Amino acid sequence: MSGTADAGPVGAVETPQPTGVIHDIGYRRYEGRRLGRGHAFATLAAHSLRGVWGLRRPARAKIMPFLIAGTMLLPAAVSVGVMALFKQRAIAYTDYMVIMQVVPAIFLASQSPYLVAPDLRFRVLPLYLSRPILVADYVFAKLTALAVAMYTLIAVPLTVMFIGELLVDMPGGADVKGYTAAMATGVLHAVFLSAVGLALASFTPRRGLGVAAVSAFYLLTSAVSLVLFGVLSSLSRDDAAVWALLINPFLLVDAVQSWLFDVRSSTVDAYPGGPVPLVLLVAATALAIGGLFLRYRPGGSR
Amino acid sequence: MTILATEGLTMRFPRVTALDRLTVTAGPGVTGLVGANGAGKSTLIKILLGLLRPTEGRAEVLGMDSSARSLEIRRLVGYMPEHECLPPDISATEFVIHMARMSGLPGTAARERAADTLRHVGLYEERYRPIGGYSTGMRQRVKLAQALVHDPRVVFLDEPTNGLDPQGRDDMLALIRRVGVEFGISVVVTSHLLGELERICDHVIVIDGGRLLRSSAITEFTQATRTITVEVEDGQDALLVRLAAAGESAVRHGRLLTVEARSEATYDAVRDAVADLELSLVRLEQGRQRIEDVFRDETGAELEEVR
Repeated sequence: MSGTADAGPVGAVETPQPTGVIHDIGYRRYEGRRLGRGHAFATLAAHSLRGVWGLRRPARAKIMPFLIAGTMLLPAAVSVGVMALFKQRAIAYTDYMVIMQVVPAIFLASQSPYLVAPDLRFRVLPLYLSRPILVADYVFAKLTALAVAMYTLIAVPLTVMFIGELLVDMPGGADVKGYTAAMATGVLHAVFLSAVGLALASFTPRRGLGVAAVSAFYLLTSAVSLVLFGVLSSLSRDDAAVWALLINPFLLVDAVQSWLFDVRSSTVDAYPGGPVPLVLLVAATALAIGGLFLRYRPGGSR
Repeated sequence: MTILATEGLTMRFPRVTALDRLTVTAGPGVTGLVGANGAGKSTLIKILLGLLRPTEGRAEVLGMDSSARSLEIRRLVGYMPEHECLPPDISATEFVIHMARMSGLPGTAARERAADTLRHVGLYEERYRPIGGYSTGMRQRVKLAQALVHDPRVVFLDEPTNGLDPQGRDDMLALIRRVGVEFGISVVVTSHLLGELERICDHVIVIDGGRLLRSSAITEFTQATRTITVEVEDGQDALLVRLAAAGESAVRHGRLLTVEARSEATYDAVRDAVADLELSLVRLEQGRQRIEDVFRDETGAELEEVR
């Protein structure tokens, strides 16, 4: 309680302080705690995550991510409606990513350059590296931010659908297994796609080029996969044809899901190779992260 | 206490030797690091921050080895790069808070220190607007603020007056002097203009071609730059003749005249000459010579030898 409103004899002794005056109290030293690399890592990851969604940025930075997230959510909402009206499942949880693949691909292409390109273009990177962090902290903080953003994009529609299913009270109970499998596979999608997107985007300080590079990666892999599958199928070489599917990053993860959780494939009767797609996925992720480190190695062009 | 010390420091890049067996020390206070563009100033700072590994030799900051203990060094050091380094889409406040946290300050302390530091460097209401709309002077202030926000023991300022107009330069130099004297933070500041550093430094280190040319207290330098730069709109030749008649030695460089300041009387002589000839005086200031010019006169022979 300030107690100066009642200006009694005691209060009158004090000189009234005019409000709105800035008093220069001179330079103050900081004697408090200085936290370590973990704190810096969390700071950078959170800052980057806000950047991906355009939070605390100008309004136009929010348009793309939220538009894409809305698009991603739409089929889930429709599916809940279908379940409510017809007591039928429109989309299986485990098929969601393969069906919607273009949407997360656009999100990856439009948002991953945002994480790395401005730091290169506006040369903020040397400032980060003059802080008490390692290059690895920077790379993994960016990767974490993008993976969390991607996972949010994937998990929210699945969860909306699941909550809808619980509320609708479908005959035969909720598909808990399908939901958990899809949520777990979402982690693989998020990590793998983020690593690839970030690695591709980090090679250019130009955001537009980064968007083009990541888009080209998706278009190329999905097109090559489709063409090869078609050609090999027409030659009746079905064994080889199913392998061609794995060139598409979304189908590669789908193959892993199908093996890990014993889920029926959303595209073909069966994916080949048992655990081989998982090995391929881990190798491809490692390659992308390796590329990132190569990009940011000390003495590299920044 | 030494702020920085190097011993036989050599940095070779594939095409160029940036530092060549540089051995130098600097104590507390404001230290100027002077050299022409490409003399190795920025390379030296990057080695001190542990961002580059020297080819040979060693460097220490606050008594810690720059290669082995770079994280500890970076915790206690601030760095203002020569180049642009600010993201355009966030506000100065948010950026400086972010950088404070990156240096290890907890959230609340980071916000308090960011507000304090931005006020100290002279950014007020505009600090809430995105940096993209700032003038060069404001950007330089934000760059300085992010170097000071975590209350470092030493700051490395790389060409802080680059791109600023004369008024902006004066403000920035005054600010740097305040950082060194009032804030009690040791400053290592680079420039290619000796005249500029003369005003704010206690000690000056001159490097050229990656080698130490000279390291001494500022008082020993003052003789070297006793010149006055005079800019008049026209009538430079008439002024030249007039000054020569008054016994002053002046040289013409295009629109500018450089007059050797023998004593205080020289300033009066210039003033009177300009007034008598009724010339339009644009600028009258203490010589801001490039470092090469200064040393051509004083240590010309030495410079030739080094090359």
